Amino acid sequence: MNVNNDNRPFDWKNDIIFRVQQRNKLQCFCYQDLINSHNRLFDQANALKSENIQLEIQLERLRKEGPEGHKSVDGNADVRTATNEQLLVLEQKLLARQEELTEIHKKRGENAQMIVDLKNALSEKDKLITVKDKVLTENITLIASLKAEIQMYETNHQRLQDQYQLLQDEHQALQLTASKLEEKLRKTQDENMELVERLKRYKFKDAEKMNQENENFIRKRNEKMQKELEDAAKDMRGLSPDSFRDCGPISFSPNAIPTKHYLHFDAHDGEVNAVKWSPVDRLFATGGADRKVKLWDISKGSIESKGLLVGSSAGVMSVDFDSTGTSIVAASNDLASRVWTVNDQRLRTEKSLNLCQIFQENFANALMSNNTYCYGLTIRTSD
Amino acid sequence: MATDREVLRDLWDGKLPVCFVLNDEEVCDLQTPEAFYLMVPRLSYFPLVWDKVRKHFIKHVHADHHDMEMWLDYNGTPLKWHYPIGLLFDLYAYDTQLPWTLTVHFEKFPENILLHCGSREVVESHFMSTLKEADALKHKGQVMNTMQKRDHNQLWLGLQNDKFDQFWSVNKKLMDTSSTDGEFKHIPFRIYCSDEGPFIQKLVKPFTEDSQPKLLQNLIEEIFPDTCKQVCVITHGIELSLDVPLQWMSEHMSYPDNFLHLCIVSNTS
Repeated sequence: MNVNNDNRPFDWKNDIIFRVQQRNKLQCFCYQDLINSHNRLFDQANALKSENIQLEIQLERLRKEGPEGHKSVDGNADVRTATNEQLLVLEQKLLARQEELTEIHKKRGENAQMIVDLKNALSEKDKLITVKDKVLTENITLIASLKAEIQMYETNHQRLQDQYQLLQDEHQALQLTASKLEEKLRKTQDENMELVERLKRYKFKDAEKMNQENENFIRKRNEKMQKELEDAAKDMRGLSPDSFRDCGPISFSPNAIPTKHYLHFDAHDGEVNAVKWSPVDRLFATGGADRKVKLWDISKGSIESKGLLVGSSAGVMSVDFDSTGTSIVAASNDLASRVWTVNDQRLRTEKSLNLCQIFQENFANALMSNNTYCYGLTIRTSD
Repeated sequence: MATDREVLRDLWDGKLPVCFVLNDEEVCDLQTPEAFYLMVPRLSYFPLVWDKVRKHFIKHVHADHHDMEMWLDYNGTPLKWHYPIGLLFDLYAYDTQLPWTLTVHFEKFPENILLHCGSREVVESHFMSTLKEADALKHKGQVMNTMQKRDHNQLWLGLQNDKFDQFWSVNKKLMDTSSTDGEFKHIPFRIYCSDEGPFIQKLVKPFTEDSQPKLLQNLIEEIFPDTCKQVCVITHGIELSLDVPLQWMSEHMSYPDNFLHLCIVSNTS
């Protein structure tokens, strides 16, 4: 290389060409033929190898055919080969047929298997159908029973509706009678009112009459008293005037005017509002602010409690006996009057009606005019 | 011009004798298969030539690996299929004894080092993209873009079938400098150092600012400004003298992908 460089010092183009050619000579040309021939040999070897293998196969085949061919030896080689060829062809055909046969067998087996499968499937389906049928019949019976039930319920319903209609009619009739009755009731109530009104009137009349009687009675007593007084005055005229002088200018008969109390006792806790003698016995009744009415007996010369009449809820303002002395009436500040029987001392009636009050007031007024009330805790009774 | 064409023709005809050997560990037959010898064009790529090799060796490997990708190594270095064969030889085996012995592998694909190469289409797309890159450097991609699909196909088929005339009838358009005052915009080149690592690629104009043609010397100085020692530039299996103009080199000594693939060897010899 150096030698070349020296020969052509600066001609770089020629140098390159030279070097490339040199390179090709070195690397290419000396190996090209070698490698080409090697490749050729390689290919040949490969081809021979494959040929060899093919020949071996052929040989093998021929060896197989050999004994068969020997059997049919007739001396005529051409015929033999021809028959051999025919045999070969037939054999091949046979082989193909056999293959076909096996294929068909296989197919048949597959088909049989398929048939079995299908049969199984069919039986399963049949089972399914029977089950479904059963269910269907069950459902049909169920439907029938349900229909019957519905029928029953419908008739029931019809009956109930009829009953209901009947009841409604009855109800209407009853309402009609009820309204009629109500009207009657109203009428009777009106009547009743009228009657009560009449009763009131009668009572009032009664009270008036009683007042008159009382007035009469008082007048009579007054007259009697006056008479007595006149009598007494007459008697006094019969006396000597001297005796009158001894006694003083004014003197009263001890019989006429009480000077000392006969008995003295505590009757009530509080004020004594009313006293009344019994018209028959030596009994009298007191009424006080302690809401009690008390009965007292003085027949034995001393005071003796005969009974305690309770029931008033406010102070008793007035008491009175009836004319037979069996009942006692008391008027109280609680807007009520009560009646007791004297014997068993039990409350008989209690009236808070206006009517009674009016009556009571009248009664009491009549009494008040005759009696002396003592606003203290003591009561005095003349002998 | 006749001499220039001669250079192109001689470069095109450059072939390498290669001896393919199956990796011992992957042999599953009783006896190791015979080595397979082949003359491979320097300018081609391995996936374009190894069909026969694969067919030969596939019978001797385990059936599980029949579908695996084949890959090659030289002295334990996996060979990148996307480098031209000549470059691989210059890079790794410049001063070995020929034929060049390569080991064939089917197993343990080195995922980290090699790209997968499923078919020839992958090689084609890689080749075309490199071609476009080179044209972008030379003419801003104008020539490549004005070409038709048919021309692209012709380039690829010319390389694949080792047809010099078919290839160069189209490739000469890419090397044309008449529209740009006889010069490229930049020189498409890649410089490989023999030690491992990516290649070096820079924008270098073919002429200096005072329109003097740049020589290979200038390029080396530009790339390695601080190395004073003598370097040896190898491409296409020959040592280059450093006074070759870059423009001429690019036009005449590029690989089919239009790149100058230069190997730098420290000048120890």
